[in-house]
Amino acid sequence: MILKKRKITSSIALFVCFLTALWGIFWLSFIIIDVLRHGITAITPSLFFNDPAPPGEEGGGLRNAFIGHLLITIFATLIGVPIGVLGGTFLAEYGRKYNISKVISTLADIMVSVPAIIIGAFIYAIIVKPLGHFSGWAGSIALGIIMIPTVLRTTENMLSLIPWTLREAAFALGAPYYKVIIQVVYRGAATGILTGIILAIARVTGEAAPLLFTAFNNNYFSLDMSQPIASLTVTIFQYAMGPYEEWHAQAWGAALMITVFILFATITGRLLIKRRYKD
Amino acid sequence: MTPEIEVKNLNFYYTGGVHILKNINMIVYKNQVTALIGPSGCGKTTLLRCFNRMHDLYAGNKYDGEIIFQGQNILSKETDLIALRSKIGMVFQKPTPFPMTIFENIAYGLKLRGIKNKGELKSRVEKALKDAVLWEEVKDKINTNAFGLSGGQQQRLCIARALAVEPEIILFDEPTSALDPISTGKIEELIISLKGRITIIIVTHNMQQAARISDWTGFMMLGELIEYDKTDKIFTVPSNKLTEDYITGRFG
Amino acid sequence: MKKQRGKLTDIAFLSITASTAFSIIAISLGIFIILFKESLLAINKFGFIGFIFSTEWDPVKEIFGAAPALIGTLITSFFALLLAVPIAIGIAIFITEIAPSFLKGIIGTAIELLAAIPSIIYGMWGLFTLAPIMSQNIEPFLQSTVGKLPLLGKLFEGTPLGVDLFTASVILSIMIIPFTASIARESFNLTPSVLKESAYAIGATKWEVVKDVVLPYSKLGVLGGVGLSLGRALGETMAVAFVLGNLNQIPSSLFDAAATVTVKLANEFTEADKDIYLSSLYYLALLLFIMSFTILALAKVFLLKAERK
Repeated sequence: MILKKRKITSSIALFVCFLTALWGIFWLSFIIIDVLRHGITAITPSLFFNDPAPPGEEGGGLRNAFIGHLLITIFATLIGVPIGVLGGTFLAEYGRKYNISKVISTLADIMVSVPAIIIGAFIYAIIVKPLGHFSGWAGSIALGIIMIPTVLRTTENMLSLIPWTLREAAFALGAPYYKVIIQVVYRGAATGILTGIILAIARVTGEAAPLLFTAFNNNYFSLDMSQPIASLTVTIFQYAMGPYEEWHAQAWGAALMITVFILFATITGRLLIKRRYKD
Repeated sequence: MTPEIEVKNLNFYYTGGVHILKNINMIVYKNQVTALIGPSGCGKTTLLRCFNRMHDLYAGNKYDGEIIFQGQNILSKETDLIALRSKIGMVFQKPTPFPMTIFENIAYGLKLRGIKNKGELKSRVEKALKDAVLWEEVKDKINTNAFGLSGGQQQRLCIARALAVEPEIILFDEPTSALDPISTGKIEELIISLKGRITIIIVTHNMQQAARISDWTGFMMLGELIEYDKTDKIFTVPSNKLTEDYITGRFG
Repeated sequence: MKKQRGKLTDIAFLSITASTAFSIIAISLGIFIILFKESLLAINKFGFIGFIFSTEWDPVKEIFGAAPALIGTLITSFFALLLAVPIAIGIAIFITEIAPSFLKGIIGTAIELLAAIPSIIYGMWGLFTLAPIMSQNIEPFLQSTVGKLPLLGKLFEGTPLGVDLFTASVILSIMIIPFTASIARESFNLTPSVLKESAYAIGATKWEVVKDVVLPYSKLGVLGGVGLSLGRALGETMAVAFVLGNLNQIPSSLFDAAATVTVKLANEFTEADKDIYLSSLYYLALLLFIMSFTILALAKVFLLKAERK
């Protein structure tokens, strides 16, 4: 009797856990389907090839924001990735025996989750204010700073997975440490580091908050990184909060493109790492 | 001597059809100590874990044959594993106290069985601890965390936990392999003191231990039960050459 | 001679990698110092107590108080946690203990993808899709059910507009589920299987093993996960900015519009035309940074402890 009751309790509890998993999947599908549904009709050639038109006029697009976003992200990657990879190298290699490395690792873990808008405010104070104007560079630096801790921690973890015997074998041939790292360790950890970079790019691609007061926005097409420059995410914010139907439609189109890119990058990253490190 | 468990043509396969236990036949007698010995990887722990269907926790395992206990084939699909495991207790290689106090550790199994009365819980916990010869050492700190005990004490706590629910059988999986000689001695004495009240099946690496505490010994090799007989016979006049080589230390 | 050069390059490489690693310290310290410096004006004018308890936010009169924004941040984060934590733990239990192996991967990935969706998408979806559903269906339903209860009903008073604390908390909760779930999963996996086996061995059911062994054993880790999610929730900007209304008031019901620190920053930073206005915003940012940094650091300590066990 008691046994039966216990078994029923167990089944109910486990079923509730199953429902929670459904809950998560429900929202994921809801959001993705909704973005698809609204976004797909907004995907037209003019979205990619035209610049914004005044509200009410036909045929406006977001060419400026696509290009601007691409530029900001590329430069952010050029800033964040080398610093992250080299920093992670120090923690896993030269610095692995020092306590300070553990402190830096922990600090990086915390910085991964520090609000992105804080980074924006920080860059505003040290770059935008002294220069007197918003700029693409400021946006790239803000996103670059957000990338550093993520890339650094993945690099550190991936390098630590390379067995020590491999390094010892290279040392035994008389190679200096930097050669061992570059020629042996990096090669072994390449897939893992690449995955970390892909995931970090995926993350910053969706950031809007740190761009609001760094890169700001620009209604015109511009390749000049020293001036305010448009980005998809800030444009989505501006357009979605705006009063015009065409703006909303374009914002959905941009949202769809960003979501597709990020989900694609995230899944690629996960598959890469799964194939390399079967768990 | 009454038979408690009868193993008939037992075969066991791991994921992918790896044949681990090969055609095992044996009878475990009630209220006696049965030891399973053999070189590492011979399948003795695998056999032990068949008796309480521990393998069912993991996917991809397959049993074949019969293990008869209380007139039922416990390998059949209808077996209620929870009921089965409350009749057949188990003590593991390493002490496994739950993240609770000493008292709660032992009361846990009783509470699962619906015993809520404080007085009854208390007296049964005390009895189990006394049976496991641990009472004197812990009676003043019964409400402290069980992780505070020494390794040997933790292992006796686990035995007390198994005893508290009054099982018919207790399975021991190398219970002293992680302990020092003094703690080992205490556990061995404890097992001997349980003889006649409870059926014990013990897997051990240590041949002397099997000789000291068991009534029956099974010698296993490469998944087969090579020889199974009274302990004094196995250790004095084994009938199989392989058994003799093993107990005289020629391999293993 | 050649060996010498190798050694020099090695030292050069060492110095470069070391300085990049130390840049993390420089950035963290830099953020703190700069935020502090920028908020000095407001700190001197309003003090600490005066700032965090004042409800006035008036750019014309140049009086600024943080109470509404802080309260908005705390309420949304708290309700988001309340909704997210039980669900995330359920998901973690399902994935680690119940799901057959082919489902583990699929559901695990799906939940992780929830974390990959950018917050601006959550915000936009929240504004255009979720908020109308909230105001037309869910909020009226809640008012006619739990809203009728004494005391608890107070939380559900007012006109259900959909742009309010409730919608913001629901969205936040969806966003933080994956963080709590993934850390809870890792902690559950740290439970030694022999410990679980010994609970099964005295005849415990699967749920009893989870409830009495796995959860108590991994509580530190789960707590760390909750802390991490809280840190995230406090600093979330865009998702909340769309659906909270940026209204500077102390809310009395979950169906009130409100503001959070992040929403204020996002909406007003580029409009701040006076030094004291900007400085007050920086003061808010500084408080947010200290709060989230502290909570994240605590969470990290819990997680490190859990790993060491």
